[in-house]
Amino acid sequence: MNTPQVSTEQALKPLALKRKPHQLHSATLRWWLLGPALLLIGATVIYPMVSSFITSFRDWRLINSPDPGPFVGVQNYARAFTDRGFLNSLRVSGLYTLISVGLTLFLGLGMALLLSKPTKLNTFTRALLIFPFAVTPVLKGFSWKFMLNPEYGVYAQMVGALIPSLKGYLWLGHDFSALFVIALSEVWGWSPLFALMFIGALGSIPPETTEAAKMDGATGLQIFWKITLPLLAPVIYIVALLKTISAFKMFDQVTIMTGGGPGDSTQTLYYHVYQLAFRNLDLGYASAVSYLLVALMAAIAFFYVRTLLSPKER
Amino acid sequence: MLNARLQRQLGQGAEVIATLLVIFFVMFPLVWIGLASLKNPVDVYSTRVFFQATLDNYSAIFGPRIRLQSNIFISALVAFLTVAITVPVGAAAAYVLSRHRFRGRESLSLLILITQFVPAVVVAIPYFVLFRSLGMIDTPIALVIVYLSFTLPYAIWMLRGFFDALPVEVEEASFIDGCNELQTLRYVTVPLVMPGILVSAVFAFISAWNEFFFALILTRSNTVTLPISIMNITGVRGPQWEQLSAAGMVVMIPILVMSLFIRKYFVEGITVGAVK
Repeated sequence: MNTPQVSTEQALKPLALKRKPHQLHSATLRWWLLGPALLLIGATVIYPMVSSFITSFRDWRLINSPDPGPFVGVQNYARAFTDRGFLNSLRVSGLYTLISVGLTLFLGLGMALLLSKPTKLNTFTRALLIFPFAVTPVLKGFSWKFMLNPEYGVYAQMVGALIPSLKGYLWLGHDFSALFVIALSEVWGWSPLFALMFIGALGSIPPETTEAAKMDGATGLQIFWKITLPLLAPVIYIVALLKTISAFKMFDQVTIMTGGGPGDSTQTLYYHVYQLAFRNLDLGYASAVSYLLVALMAAIAFFYVRTLLSPKER
Repeated sequence: MLNARLQRQLGQGAEVIATLLVIFFVMFPLVWIGLASLKNPVDVYSTRVFFQATLDNYSAIFGPRIRLQSNIFISALVAFLTVAITVPVGAAAAYVLSRHRFRGRESLSLLILITQFVPAVVVAIPYFVLFRSLGMIDTPIALVIVYLSFTLPYAIWMLRGFFDALPVEVEEASFIDGCNELQTLRYVTVPLVMPGILVSAVFAFISAWNEFFFALILTRSNTVTLPISIMNITGVRGPQWEQLSAAGMVVMIPILVMSLFIRKYFVEGITVGAVK
């Protein structure tokens, strides 16, 4: 009874597949669907990029004139490399990135290992992990500033109770601790998210692998270094790049928590360019500095995109 | 024997304590802001956990001095407009990039991926000059335009992942049944990627709602969005923490609710396909 049905299907098959679905796609429709997106990306990304690039070769101070000034060659770029403000912001952003990426990875990994077993408490805790990330960055800044106030901040008092020498410490009043606290507000947002990603990756490690290692007498620490960590390495690499890109864009909490101070110790690259462009209104120089930022981003993004698009990972 | 059992129990105890510490780390700032929003101006300058709760701060932020409702309106308007443009335009482009075969498809996708890394300052400088000369500083439209520079590439890349995950056979069947491409798109493809469309809408909404950098540059007094208005809640003694906290709750709650809705896709959404 089955034979005729199979043959009918087989008879129909070549008919159906004569034209692949993408050959039925209309080229006219393609450009109607793609057009608006290309137009908007062209207007909102490509146009300003080209315009900034041109401005970066001009001497254009908005205080003097609303019209673009004369071209000055690479003078703006040359100026950046002798400008202490820029070099300082490069150092601040570098240090900030190191602290925030390092801490986020460390805490994220720790939380993931702790919560990987599917107990009731762990499942509940995992559900909470999505909350901090979505919190408005301005609020992240305010809440940590509030909680670390030396007089009435709840975290400041907790730390003071644990380590008496830090009682009344001005967290935002010292160079390194101010940068560290800004990083903390961001680590609070990102590390739970990292934990969720790592938990996902840990789930794809076959339990037999670790079981076998345990049978062979490996300690927990050995299993972590020799099995878990190498298997997580690709995920760690990609999320670290993602966080690095975001760390170089740090702006919101700097504005809210320190305004770049004390001194210029928390002037990140973004904050510095903001000052140049919208406080000093020195558009030519600010454009040049922002293009140096583009170059930096492009270098990091190159590794990110390469990993993302490599067929091995997919 | 007893030793081993004791050791195991101690280990389990330590794990539970560590987990409770994680819960504390993740939730405490949110809880503390929630408590501060219910405190009176005296209690907020203490670390008291028990206090006489009051709703005064909430009536104050909606009162005549702060009028947060007008900022809520502006923020919601800007976010809705951004989503209303981002999602249909992004979905249409993502469909083509996922399904059509044409020359330059891969380089186009790559270009869109790369635009996500363009620093906002590069976009801000020319648009600041342009909006200034057009008299568009301090208008909602100006904000929507610059917000599209990051929501659109992001949405396209995210939605492309959702289209890619949908098997082509579904559309094949629809073609065999005699539907043309537009009909297939409307009745088959779009309904099937609806979860992806909703997720990208939520992400676009959240990023517009939270945005601070462009808003700081492009608003003055008429289109003050929520993040900017929060910054302005200060009194003679500096920030008024109790009112600031109440405003913070108002800003945060819609976003926390939305992220709960798309919980399943949250991680994927942020990494846009980076972690599989």
